[in-house]
Amino acid sequence: MVTFKGTREAFSVAMLELAEQDSRYVLVLADSLAAMRAARFAERYPERVFDVGIAEQNAVGVAAGLASCGLIPFVATYAGFITMRACEQVRTFCAYPGLNVKFVGANGGLFAGEREGVTHQFFEDLGIMRSIPCITIVTPSDPAQTRQATHAIAQVDGPCYLRIGSGREHDLFKADEPFELGKLRVLAEHGGGEDVALIATGLLLNRVQEAAERLATEGISATVAEVHTLRPLDREAIAAVARRTGAVVTIEDHNILGGLGSAVAEVIAEEGLAATLVRVGLQDVFPESGEAESLLDAYGMGITDVMAAARRAMKRARAH
Amino acid sequence: MNENIPDLARIANSLRADVLRMVHVGGDGHPGPALSVADIVATLYFSVLRVDPERPDWPQRDRLILSKGHACPVVYAALVRLGFMPPETLGTLRCLHSMLQGHPDMLKTPGIDMTTGSLGNGLSIGLGMALAGRYSGRDYAVHVIAGDGEMQEGIIWEAVMAAAHHGAGRLTLWIDNNGWQSGGRVAQIAGLEPIGPKLAAFDWHVQEIDGHDHEAILDAAQAAAAIADRPSAIVAHTVKGKGVPFIENDNSWHKRVPTSDELERALVALGEA
Repeated sequence: MVTFKGTREAFSVAMLELAEQDSRYVLVLADSLAAMRAARFAERYPERVFDVGIAEQNAVGVAAGLASCGLIPFVATYAGFITMRACEQVRTFCAYPGLNVKFVGANGGLFAGEREGVTHQFFEDLGIMRSIPCITIVTPSDPAQTRQATHAIAQVDGPCYLRIGSGREHDLFKADEPFELGKLRVLAEHGGGEDVALIATGLLLNRVQEAAERLATEGISATVAEVHTLRPLDREAIAAVARRTGAVVTIEDHNILGGLGSAVAEVIAEEGLAATLVRVGLQDVFPESGEAESLLDAYGMGITDVMAAARRAMKRARAH
Repeated sequence: MNENIPDLARIANSLRADVLRMVHVGGDGHPGPALSVADIVATLYFSVLRVDPERPDWPQRDRLILSKGHACPVVYAALVRLGFMPPETLGTLRCLHSMLQGHPDMLKTPGIDMTTGSLGNGLSIGLGMALAGRYSGRDYAVHVIAGDGEMQEGIIWEAVMAAAHHGAGRLTLWIDNNGWQSGGRVAQIAGLEPIGPKLAAFDWHVQEIDGHDHEAILDAAQAAAAIADRPSAIVAHTVKGKGVPFIENDNSWHKRVPTSDELERALVALGEA
């Protein structure tokens, strides 16, 4: 079984695999070669690495130019420098012309940004990318899925955003577990899973699985569903889970505004579903430096937070 | 003297006339910046660029990026004249469902190599195209036209540094140095001079020319093409609104629609009445 030291290495391995298949795959970096674990790629394919230095706007512009001439560039650096500093270049020169540029954002969330502090913790990226039309958005939950997701977005003819972490993620999936772009994945239905739906995205999925198991010991039947693709969103499957349980908790390492929680709220409201919703995530505040696991605990994304949110969603559902 | 020169002068004025007609009919647009760059656009499209109206997506074609995208009517006029689009397209500038967007759109307009409009971005994209050409073994040239005002954008200087570092030899930056920007004189708002020496200090090959002298434009393009191992900048000194005396150096024409009377007088001045 192939194992990786985290999502960054998994991405890098996938890039090598892609590069072997097709000479159009190239890497655009902003002094991010080491951060993106791309040394092996650069050694093997030096002519396919375009490092423009610490200049993310230029990196995205260069990628647009490369893509317009038929190459398939992956711009890989920190999530916030792509989605915030180079936001306009992503939107106007890649997404709007529909160019085949892939963006790979590291340090997505508090868990990945951890001790670096707010400047390197990116919890707005999904909301920003969701508000720009036409970008495929994926947030795999472990290294093996990151490798699969990298291959999946490579097959999309158009702009894509892949959110990854720091390199210390938990391994949750088998190496060959498929990544089906745009599909909600039900991971567990404890005791039938009809009391509450825990819908999660990203690198804290392990916490959600643990919360569901503990809820089961309390006699609460939770469905655990992963939404690793925020666009195209699997609206039908989300609606089905919400309809079946009537009580939904979304869990994401992201501000509760703009990301998965907002996306699920839109589905519930627009489908007119009788379901309550509690959003677990960063509660619209700026966090701070800290060890990764304790940061999630301190900012409302602990296992007990997920459990409390489940009980709250169920209580409100019963009150209806 | 190059035998095409008299033709280029005539074509440039004809493009200017088309710009004013388009903005008049469409009811919106930027005549001043389009008129200042008309001689460069005419010379590039009609004497320099390797393009084919039958194959707008031809991979070997030379690329032109109008980074100062608001001047696009003059490029639209050139593309129509070359046969990329039918002449009646010109009457639809900025209208609903038109091929001719307010700023260039590579998906809607045949012959437009890159979507542009928000200032400062063309050079990075041109660098990407030049690097793609080198990687793919294609020898096309990439021309980027920027305004002098847009050189105030930070991303321009990111691209200037990176292009020199990567030795992007098939990349030429034309600076339409008319001295004006939307809010007034460049020198008064955030002066850039000396632009040429700044670029030379970044290890670019730099030429300074009269941007209305077609022979000088042609010579500069040829000299730039001969520089294989580094990017080339051509600082073209121009007059905003060039060709129509009452528009020249009147910055109210940065964005303004000519009345019927103004259009008529302008066409007379351009010899296009």
